Amino acid sequence: MDIAVSIAIIALAALIHASFQLSVSVLTLLSGHTISAKRTQSKLLRLTTSFVIGAGVMTILLLSSLSLLLLNIFKGQTPQIVWAASCGLLVGVALSVWLFYYRREKGTSLWVPRGIARYLNDRTKSTKLSAEAFGLGLSSIVGELLFIIAPILISSLVLVQLPPFWQIAGIGIYTVISLLSLIIVWVLVGSGHNLGAIQKWRESNKYFLQFAAGTGLIVLGFFVYVNEILGSTIGGF
Amino acid sequence: MNLAVDIIKRGGQRQTERFMRDKLHKSIVSACLSVRTPEGQAEIIAHAVCDSVIIWLQQRPEVTSHDIRIVAARHLKSHHPEAAYLYEQHRITI
Repeated sequence: MDIAVSIAIIALAALIHASFQLSVSVLTLLSGHTISAKRTQSKLLRLTTSFVIGAGVMTILLLSSLSLLLLNIFKGQTPQIVWAASCGLLVGVALSVWLFYYRREKGTSLWVPRGIARYLNDRTKSTKLSAEAFGLGLSSIVGELLFIIAPILISSLVLVQLPPFWQIAGIGIYTVISLLSLIIVWVLVGSGHNLGAIQKWRESNKYFLQFAAGTGLIVLGFFVYVNEILGSTIGGF
Repeated sequence: MNLAVDIIKRGGQRQTERFMRDKLHKSIVSACLSVRTPEGQAEIIAHAVCDSVIIWLQQRPEVTSHDIRIVAARHLKSHHPEAAYLYEQHRITI
């Protein structure tokens, strides 16, 4: 797999990661609580920035830890069975996203364990310091691990085959792209946009986002399968 | 003014409590402020909504907190639709 194809796979995986909505929901709630508590605009910006940085740090940690683990296990020569299993995981997660991602009710409630949702809700309400917002960013990424594990796993498998410079670049590319949806909400909130309008957009487009995330996972799984399994079988390398 | 109305909490897992106007008032003000409504206007709207909810409560000895939220959102909608939308969304965002 050449570098361009590897980076394209990482970018697509990150884009799928960006379409998952738990962190965006938490950021929206955090902004709402901060504005309604009559805190200053600079405080709002500090909290939301810390949240986004926290989410970014956890993404980097997850991706690099998993890559290190895979590198130690497979020494850069990932067996085809692992690629095949990872493609299966992508398809499985895609089907779950299509079927379950949003709860069948009003709003943008997600199919994450209710305990985690309640914890994030309560923490959001009591977040006053930048350090707490940073921690909330870390937790929100862990909360959606059930869904983001598939794109992170594929990206890690691709990363371990790259030269060292491109491994670091790949982690950077993945992190920046996966944070895009958070960055958009952060910019909108920071520039004084109405939270109601943001939440309304999210609610009215939730099934599209759900469909796009599921389809993205299927496309990614198909592409990786063709490239890694069929390509090496038919091409003989 | 607190009415002698028992509020059954969400899911019935927590103890019932007496209706507290201040608590409702605070939540309406928060919803209005979170859509960047000026503070004075938020207070006026919250007063109006609380009055309407209290009129609705007068014939009822006990209601659920969910009922209160629905009725408050319905009245808030006529004063500030965007705040009402966020008020309704509060528990169904995550």
